[in-house]
Amino acid sequence: MGVNESLGAVVKAFPQARLVAFADLSSRMILSSMGPLSTTQEYLDRLCDQARTSFDDPLFSLSVEAFGEPNAAVVMGPDTVRVFLRSDVEPADALCCICDHGIDLPAFVAKIRTTLESITHAG
Amino acid sequence: MNRGTLPILARLHSLQTSARIVPGGGRVISEATDRNPVAQMLRVMNETMLARSLRFVSAAGPSLTLDVAGRRVLRVTGAEGLTGAETCLATDVLEDEHKDELIKLFQGVALVREELHVFSGPAGRGGEEVSIGLPVALLADLLLVDLNVTEPDDDPVELPEVVVPPTPAEIAAGETGLSGFASAVGPALVAWLIDGGAEAGRTDGPEEMVSHLQGFLADERDSLERQFDSLSAAPGDAICMILGAMLVEGHSIVGARIGPSILLGVIEGDATTATLGAWRAALR
Repeated sequence: MGVNESLGAVVKAFPQARLVAFADLSSRMILSSMGPLSTTQEYLDRLCDQARTSFDDPLFSLSVEAFGEPNAAVVMGPDTVRVFLRSDVEPADALCCICDHGIDLPAFVAKIRTTLESITHAG
Repeated sequence: MNRGTLPILARLHSLQTSARIVPGGGRVISEATDRNPVAQMLRVMNETMLARSLRFVSAAGPSLTLDVAGRRVLRVTGAEGLTGAETCLATDVLEDEHKDELIKLFQGVALVREELHVFSGPAGRGGEEVSIGLPVALLADLLLVDLNVTEPDDDPVELPEVVVPPTPAEIAAGETGLSGFASAVGPALVAWLIDGGAEAGRTDGPEEMVSHLQGFLADERDSLERQFDSLSAAPGDAICMILGAMLVEGHSIVGARIGPSILLGVIEGDATTATLGAWRAALR
């Protein structure tokens, strides 16, 4: 299954996922995205930057100091939930997702974790 | 619902909404309780077909004057109490390169927890030329704003996510703000403290953990605010962030901000389910 198909499968399984994107955090690029949310390239660039910010100081250092390096972040605002997940084996590979608040977050996190692993191992 | 009817319903809704007039002939487009005043600002611009000068004035003081026509922002003709407006003011025609600065100006004038007024007048210059400028739809897209909502999306009692029933913990807590958030998360939040605002000084959990969090906030409060701002639509917006290795097991760090208050805590076990419901409750 290709990257687009993998991302599409996530969107199909979770209708509350408005955007699921695969990013290379080291080059700050969204490489592929799927979902009903219409976006511009500028918006995707900003989403990628937000993923990098999520895995940055100061909260990153606090987490490392307390429990080890974090690979998952959930950012909740007034209207949406953003989920950022980095690969354990290739930290530059990440999924950046925008969801409605009604999403089943534990199930969604589990699904995107297996999706990211399959994309990383396939690449 | 047929998506094609949404713009019509949105327009009908806006026509039915009673306007509140302020001295000088302006009207209130966003109340202090509205969560997304920038969205209201964009909707006003999106309803402007004929060339008009729109002056947006925050009750806090800043103002921004724009020439708008044909659902496009043609130019910035005035900015008071706002920084970073020089480039937009200097250009006769806004182009793609100006959109980031323009969005910052929107966010600078459409402040959360402040009333926003609009005053309409004749366009400054060249307003009849509508094939120029930045489309309001593009700016709305960048800000994730739906221009065609049929109901107010900023009603603090009726969030778009109300289809999800509150958890028993949310109902039992009956509190709002960050203390209510901590109560609603429940025992999974093993240690926490609140810094700043009316709730400052509230803590719970083992003294050693709370003390560590206090020391961290004492050193890093400013940089944490910057990290939150980088992840928010506008500086100072309410935000909650969880960071962990797995999120659904082990330990995670949670940081949240509502107004001047910041909560920092440690979650043990599943950090996703309880936190999402608690956050919805905290924002009510």
